Amino acid sequence: MFLRALCAAAAAAVSVWLAFAALAAEPDINTIRQEIQNLKNLYESRIQALEEQLKTLQKKETDRSTKAASAAPATSGRVIRDNAFNPAIGVILNGKYTNFSADDSEIAGFAVGEEGERGREGLGIDESELNFSANADDKFYGHVTTAIVREDGEDKVELEEAYLQTLPGAAVIDGLSLKAGRAFWTLGYLNERHSHEDDFTDRPLPNRVFLNNSYNDDGIQASWVLPTDLYTEIGGGIFRGDDYPFGNGGGNGVEAWSAYARFGGDFGADHAWQLGGSFLSGDSDGRESNEGGVEFVGDSNLFITDFRYVWAPTGNPRQQELTVQGEYFWRFEDGTYEDSDAGTGAVDYDEDDSGWYLQAVYKFLPQWRVGTRYSRLSPANTPNGLDGSALDADGQTPQSWSLMADWTNSEFSRLRIQYSHQELSDDKDDQLILQYILSIGAHGAHQF
Amino acid sequence: MLRLTILLSAAILSLLSAPAMAALQVFACEPEWASLAQEIGGDRVKTITATHAGQDAHYVRARPSLIAAMRRSDLVFCSGADLEVGWLPILLRKAGNQTVQPGQAGHLLAADHVTLLEAPEKLDRSLGDVHPQGNPHVHLNPANISILVTVLADRLRDLDPPGSAHYERNAEKFLAAWREAVLQWEQRAKALRNMPVVVHHKAWTYLADWLALDQVATLEPKPGLPPTSSHLTSLLQLTRTRPIKAILRTPYDPDDAAKWLAKKTGIPSVQLPFTVGGDEQSGTLFLMFDRTLTLLEEANGDG
Repeated sequence: MFLRALCAAAAAAVSVWLAFAALAAEPDINTIRQEIQNLKNLYESRIQALEEQLKTLQKKETDRSTKAASAAPATSGRVIRDNAFNPAIGVILNGKYTNFSADDSEIAGFAVGEEGERGREGLGIDESELNFSANADDKFYGHVTTAIVREDGEDKVELEEAYLQTLPGAAVIDGLSLKAGRAFWTLGYLNERHSHEDDFTDRPLPNRVFLNNSYNDDGIQASWVLPTDLYTEIGGGIFRGDDYPFGNGGGNGVEAWSAYARFGGDFGADHAWQLGGSFLSGDSDGRESNEGGVEFVGDSNLFITDFRYVWAPTGNPRQQELTVQGEYFWRFEDGTYEDSDAGTGAVDYDEDDSGWYLQAVYKFLPQWRVGTRYSRLSPANTPNGLDGSALDADGQTPQSWSLMADWTNSEFSRLRIQYSHQELSDDKDDQLILQYILSIGAHGAHQF
Repeated sequence: MLRLTILLSAAILSLLSAPAMAALQVFACEPEWASLAQEIGGDRVKTITATHAGQDAHYVRARPSLIAAMRRSDLVFCSGADLEVGWLPILLRKAGNQTVQPGQAGHLLAADHVTLLEAPEKLDRSLGDVHPQGNPHVHLNPANISILVTVLADRLRDLDPPGSAHYERNAEKFLAAWREAVLQWEQRAKALRNMPVVVHHKAWTYLADWLALDQVATLEPKPGLPPTSSHLTSLLQLTRTRPIKAILRTPYDPDDAAKWLAKKTGIPSVQLPFTVGGDEQSGTLFLMFDRTLTLLEEANGDG
């Protein structure tokens, strides 16, 4: 009881004191409020700063994680679109200005196919080439080359190449590759190459007369790179026998075959070489040349040996490079020739002829090259029946000298000037050729 | 006759299989990767380098000797990102070696495993020889080397399981030494921060990124195009308004443009090793980075 009374009294005393205290402290409340407000402001600004810091930290974190994601194999971050599997597309644009001093371009003692003839004179575009290529899947690679050419006053589309090639994944044996379809087949050095890669504006004389510039029949070719220190590749093919030096591929459709071997290596870091031998043999059921004026029926056999030597003085072909290259052709044919323009009738023929060229090209500055080439042909001994025909060389040995200089702005464009002096028959021909070659799209290969 | 045939075929077979029995053959496109493969592979690998330090890996021909070398290799180790686009694809196709084709364990491209810088936003050849995936000269950032050590060791284990412990040991040893070296280099690099430099070709992007160098301009007007006199004149103007400490080039860049600018401006023209074997003092990756820093420090101090 007493305790309760005491408590009540104490409570009353406290409340009275509090009231007095409150009265007495009236002016300080504002200060306290101010203090509290200050504290609040301080904390708010601190919180704000902390929030700011947190934000930057979070941003860094996301940055890092995106970086980490992109550090994974590049393939994982790519956007895959429907066109991601489009083939590599390359377009070659090629134009010339040509001036000839002689009207006549016959090659004494040789029947020449359409492609192997001298080009058009004056301004004009040359072959415009379209290339498509891609791996079809893990086993096959596909390639198409179409050329749009001006022939007989019309623009025509020529299918130069359309082939599949087995990829290493398809081979039973390492190093073995099969190519099927139409292609510039392996024969000597130049035949495999597209003309826009050439060092001169035209093919050398033997390629013109023996291969009609290039042999790209329909067929199949196998090649095998041996696992040896010395680069060794052997191969061979079977062909339809439709393209020059064969023609009119009748019969069972396999009229020609080829075999080749080539070797190569380095001398030190700056010198490289390659040596090859090829053989092409087949039946011609009617090979037309000289614009249909001359026809050959029979067996045609061609042996080619080629070499190439490259010297890059600093090891950098970009800066300076000397290439020396040559091919020797030997052909023996057994059959009949008929020159309807000369009215010879079909004359038995069993003879051989040959030709060769040698060229050197020197890159003395990264964008500038000069080159020279000599080619020469040795016509066959013609049978009496062909006297006065296109096959009758009349003691001539056709030959040609060329000088060229070109400027390569980038890997994708080149301008060239070439002078040639040709003695192909009685007429001497001085030729001046200006040429541009442009490559757009896919990056070309740095072939040896 | 039969005995002779057997003997002969046995001889041929042993000849053909001989390289396969020997050490793992590594075909490296550039000296830095050859050096790394040798460090991690040790005596279990035999390395062939397609290019030496004096050669520009952009411009190499698919020479017969390279086809033959790739034909016999177990691992192809290259920079990638189209640096070797002119010759690597042909080598792969011509050599016909299944184990080193893209997608196989024997096909290792450095650019596939690191973050590429300078991926172009615009792809147009009028901008020069641009690499669509980004700058391919990835080896000049030591962090990228660390990443590749791990990747390479994994690949070597896949290709040669009996050597697993060997590769792991070598990789660990290399990485430990590498970490220590990088710490020291980064300590030294503090003095090089924001050092303004002119470079011949954009071969130094990863180095500049790592050391925080300021790449002010390139001597090439566009990537892959040789310096022109008009472009050099404009650079001469630039150096009047901006202080430049050094003109950097690789051992394979022609020195005429750099020397011309150096003579006109007094800015030192510095040939950095760029890769292993780039000069006499750069016989290993460690020495190469060391030498690079020393040369930069010298140039920075001079300027």
